[in-house]
Amino acid sequence: MKPAILTRVRRDATRGVMRTASGLIVVLLGSLSAGCVQVSAPEKPIEINLNINIRQEVVVRLQQDVKNLIENNPGVF
Amino acid sequence: MNRRTRLILAAALGAALLVGGTGVALAFQADASAQLRSSGQAGEQADGYLGLVGSASADIRAQVDAVNIKRRAYYTDLAAKRGAKIEEVAATTACELFRTKVGPGQYYRLPDGVWRQRDSAPIPLPGYCG
Repeated sequence: MKPAILTRVRRDATRGVMRTASGLIVVLLGSLSAGCVQVSAPEKPIEINLNINIRQEVVVRLQQDVKNLIENNPGVF
Repeated sequence: MNRRTRLILAAALGAALLVGGTGVALAFQADASAQLRSSGQAGEQADGYLGLVGSASADIRAQVDAVNIKRRAYYTDLAAKRGAKIEEVAATTACELFRTKVGPGQYYRLPDGVWRQRDSAPIPLPGYCG
């Protein structure tokens, strides 16, 4: 019987497949953890400053834009 | 690495990124801030951000942070467009959120820094809200 062509010509055929498979796993794990990092808490919390310093005319000027902003982004507001 | 292996790797990378991206999108719910307000563990603040009422769980904290990061981005964007300060856009938004989004039984915090629970009456708005 003739030896199979892979075994005869490419003695490292199986090892090559294994390398590809382990490479795939590394890439998959890497990109999955990269996806998770995006939803984790920020390193520094946003500082809360409740000393509001704003004039009413500024509020009036921004009011319509702000209403649109809230309406267009229901998950965030 | 031959051409075929490279192709397989590229395809796998693309698929993984797609799956990861979908997961991130799903993790942020369409009504995240409304759910946080009604949980009673987070409330609206006069500075335009969600705040933690009492000691909230790590999960709630992470969700509040995620919402606030997005808010900050929107405030920054609108402030640049209108030549206003980020804090001004944020405070104006807070006025509107107090008016329309905080329901009875939910928490809010005015510039005095005290958490209060809204009753059936509207929230007494700060003078600058107009």
